Amino acid sequence: MNVSQLAEQLRRDHMFMKDVTRWEVLPARSARTAPFPAWLDPRLKPALEKRGIHELYIHQAQSLEATARGEDVTVVTPTASGKTMCYNLPVLSAILKNEDARALYLFPTKALSADQVSELYDMIEEMGVDIKTYTYDGDTPAAARKAVRQAGHIVVTNPDMLHSGILPHHTKWVKLFENLQYIVIDEIHTYRGVFGSNLANVLRRLLRLCEFYGSHPRFILCSATIANPAELAETLIGRPVTLVDENGAPMGEKHFVFYNPPVVNRQLGIRQGCIPVTRTISGMLLKNGIQAITFARSRLTVEVLTKYLKDLVRDPLGNAGKVRGYRGGYLPGERREIERGLRAGQVDAVVSTNALELGIDIGALDACVLCGYPGTIASAWQQAGRAGRRQGTSIVFFIASSAAIDQYIVNHPDYLLQKSPENALLNPDNLYILLSHFKCAAFELPFAKGDCFGNAPGTEELLTYLSEENILHEADGKYHWSAEDFPASEISLRSAASENFIIIDITDPARHRVVGEMDRFTAPMLLHENAIYMHEGRQYQVEKLDFDACKAYIRSVDVGYYTDADLNISLSLLDVEREEPFAGTAAAALGEIKVTALVTMFKKIRFDTHETLGFGHVRLPETDMHTTAMWWTLPDALAERMAGDRLKNGMMGIANLLRIVCPLYLMCAPQDVAVVYQVRSPITDKPTVIIYDNTPGGIGLAQKAFSMRDLLLEKALQVAEDCGCEHGCPSCTGPAGEIGEDGKRTAVRLLKELLK
Amino acid sequence: MNLMDRIRAVGGTGGSGRPAAGEASTDCRHFAVYREAEEFPGAWDLTAETLRLMSDREIPEELDPRKILYLDTETTGLGGSGTVAFLVGMGYLTDTGFEVHQFLMRDYPEEPFLLKHVAAGLGKFDVLCTFNGTTFDVPLLESRFLMNRMDRNCLEMPHLDLLHMCRRLWKLRLGRCNLGRLEEVILGKPRVDDLPGSEVPQRYFTYLKTKRMELLDDILRHNAQDIASLCVLLNHMADLYLHPEKIRFSEDVYSMGRALEKINHTEYARRCYRLARPGRMGASAGAALAMSYRRSGEREAAAEIWREMVRERKGGAEPYVELAKYEEHVRRNIPEALEWTEKALMLLSEPSLREGESVQETKNELQYRRQRLLRKLKER
Repeated sequence: MNVSQLAEQLRRDHMFMKDVTRWEVLPARSARTAPFPAWLDPRLKPALEKRGIHELYIHQAQSLEATARGEDVTVVTPTASGKTMCYNLPVLSAILKNEDARALYLFPTKALSADQVSELYDMIEEMGVDIKTYTYDGDTPAAARKAVRQAGHIVVTNPDMLHSGILPHHTKWVKLFENLQYIVIDEIHTYRGVFGSNLANVLRRLLRLCEFYGSHPRFILCSATIANPAELAETLIGRPVTLVDENGAPMGEKHFVFYNPPVVNRQLGIRQGCIPVTRTISGMLLKNGIQAITFARSRLTVEVLTKYLKDLVRDPLGNAGKVRGYRGGYLPGERREIERGLRAGQVDAVVSTNALELGIDIGALDACVLCGYPGTIASAWQQAGRAGRRQGTSIVFFIASSAAIDQYIVNHPDYLLQKSPENALLNPDNLYILLSHFKCAAFELPFAKGDCFGNAPGTEELLTYLSEENILHEADGKYHWSAEDFPASEISLRSAASENFIIIDITDPARHRVVGEMDRFTAPMLLHENAIYMHEGRQYQVEKLDFDACKAYIRSVDVGYYTDADLNISLSLLDVEREEPFAGTAAAALGEIKVTALVTMFKKIRFDTHETLGFGHVRLPETDMHTTAMWWTLPDALAERMAGDRLKNGMMGIANLLRIVCPLYLMCAPQDVAVVYQVRSPITDKPTVIIYDNTPGGIGLAQKAFSMRDLLLEKALQVAEDCGCEHGCPSCTGPAGEIGEDGKRTAVRLLKELLK
Repeated sequence: MNLMDRIRAVGGTGGSGRPAAGEASTDCRHFAVYREAEEFPGAWDLTAETLRLMSDREIPEELDPRKILYLDTETTGLGGSGTVAFLVGMGYLTDTGFEVHQFLMRDYPEEPFLLKHVAAGLGKFDVLCTFNGTTFDVPLLESRFLMNRMDRNCLEMPHLDLLHMCRRLWKLRLGRCNLGRLEEVILGKPRVDDLPGSEVPQRYFTYLKTKRMELLDDILRHNAQDIASLCVLLNHMADLYLHPEKIRFSEDVYSMGRALEKINHTEYARRCYRLARPGRMGASAGAALAMSYRRSGEREAAAEIWREMVRERKGGAEPYVELAKYEEHVRRNIPEALEWTEKALMLLSEPSLREGESVQETKNELQYRRQRLLRKLKER
């Protein structure tokens, strides 16, 4: 059965269709093309034609033209639309014209760079020219590094290596910096939050060095579909970009099926799990010979589903090999083999984490199953984009879990299908991040009085501060690095706080090994002594947490429970930046707060039944975090009318609703923002609901929340009103057991008052 | 909260006020140290020919030992473009003694002046001599020239890196070869009251804040001593290369043989191997000597060494194996080859020998050889 026949059959299946909340058919789209631009080096055309490319899609052509005009370009491209052409063609053309020209390619992960480089190699080989493309990362052998520095026309690396391996040693890279024409950054939508804020500062450093060496590189950036690609790109590189977002690639008809597993316990609002449902649907695709990818959210789920599907086709002929799992933690060779198998059609089904969401080339598949909502619309479309050939029909199933976000999506399919409301946010001026990179910049090249650091504010204050701290030494208007430290080694680009805890497995006394890292604000929660720490599906118990040395020692265990620490959070106000009164005496404000976290105890919770087995004490120092926050204070009159627990329960309901809505509209992971309510807040002395940025210094989420504060309340109200439950459930305000019989009604009333 | 306070809040504080800016400079500080000739025995007799034994660097034909520049830097860190050489010392032989000229930047604005002196200094000499300069001092100076937009070509000259030369000679016996250890063990002159290198950067930063010149006395002394030691060490090595019979340690003379062989001084190398044969490294030296003969096609000379080793019971099974090969392939004496093979197998079957993977491999090879030899015998 092919995809069209299967779709037809499912639509006639009433048992199936009763749980389908939406069956959307996205019509086929034909290709829109344009000829190769005249300025393209003549040697490129035959090489392209040999690969079957006779003209460009319009987005490729538009991007090339903008690049040729000397503009910085951001191309928004769905999966498999030939985005690499947008940067490979101008770069190759430039090097063919001038063999001294250099380009720098940045990819967020190593696997991705390996994939794109092999495509570049093919093109270069086809032309038979001497263009040297080198990957420079942690795996590059020391002996080869000199050649890369001297002779590499195209240097492919990642932000981490640029930050710690290239910029601080820029004098060894003279050739690259003096002749740098293009900086290519792929998958820029992955650079949000802390990682993006770090990258923006790495780029400030890079451009500062280019200026020193007299080069003026242009940017070519690629992004998956997000709401604000241009804004993201401009924040990353600190200058305006030309946006190219008209996709010219053809696409066959695509069915998008939203499936909500049936309720099995009406009382408690419990639905059938999304793993068994996914097992059935992916199994059906597999049995019909439809090549499909299934995305699961955790590594554990990937393994479980892979096993289920393998069992389904297991036979003496080794057909189980047609089903493969794919996730971080697999060895590179194994991953390449699976990717090849998918392209060649030897692998019929693959179950993956979001590891396969990025632009790794696996060809186009017939079907895609999303086991649970991946967290953002961009991810959902990236994953769904894995299904869909240029011709022929494809199908995507979204299987909702019982998580609140999933339930919102499956009941509001338009949220996913309409134009993305998500924003990718970053804040290069986060003081923690800025200060760290400013130090690196000062190490790399002394600042002079009046110098700028990209468009960062407060250069003068930063210089004064670092001089006061004797990290810089001022002489004749120049600030020289005068400390022994190597500042780039103090920052990890993927989290904000510089001191990370390392997690050491001591199960084997002869061979201690580092299994992971955790930032210092999360460590007390998950790595306190006796905590059960989960890593790659295995359980460990924390034996010792050395808070001063930032080390946690864990030992492998096999127990039937996990632990959950009680975090006591207290907030204090540092500064109010803006305050807007509304709805009578209510007010919304934006400001800076100090969050003090203290873990005092933890619960042991049994798997499956989730009953509490016991408690334990935790003795750890407090941790402080300065961050940005926004908050609503409720009108006095409203608060006075609600006696006792009613106000508290209503506010708890609102907080729960905002926890669902915020990650959706701020495009961040749920743990990136915190929502708390305080009946009598020490910040305002009034009943207050607070949203704060869970990253030290804040990455702009509070500002964004403040600017869309009415929308957030509207969406929170909508979730509550659209939910079928009567007295609250885990998918909206929280269950009545938590917020009281009246909680949901009160929350709705409060929200309506606030929105009046 | 204003920005300054916020920066202090995220960054933490603990520093003091900053020092007042100094007056504008027109040059860096210069120190000169003179040393007596007798400290440098043999230094004026050093020839290009001797240096060519010690290094494969290109040495000018008519080398004047006074044209070797001994250089050492003191720096603010361990590398990266934020590390600065704040003191560069350059020493050389004069007609009557040894002079060290040290250039110190009293503050960062003096760096260009310091570099100018370094460039001028380098320009007057034919050969550069450092300790670990290929990986540290020279790239660092290159980086500094570049950062100050100055020409780096002055650094391109024949370069003797004593660290590598010393490692080739003494690593086998001493393990780590830092300058302090070499001075103590090789030259027999341990340093007293020396400032540890790791304390140098902090000392300079303290000086920058306080501008108390006496803080730098230790560093200046340390640097001058390092430079003088380079010259002493180089000439001590030269003496050993010319007179390996003076070397008391079998390890050292064997290592010298290896070093010489690596840069194709075969005859000199063989002399060292022969000298090393009676000592602790006798077996290795014998094997190296025989292999050297084999490589140059002198198979009989090689075989003679192997036979001597068999008589001396040195080198384990290797001489037997090599003799078996020699008899089989060179002399084509199959019965003799078989005899050596069987002797080797017997030796390896003795339980006293440590059993390892390589032993097993040798055994397998020997068995294979034995079968082949037996077959050849039959075919005759």
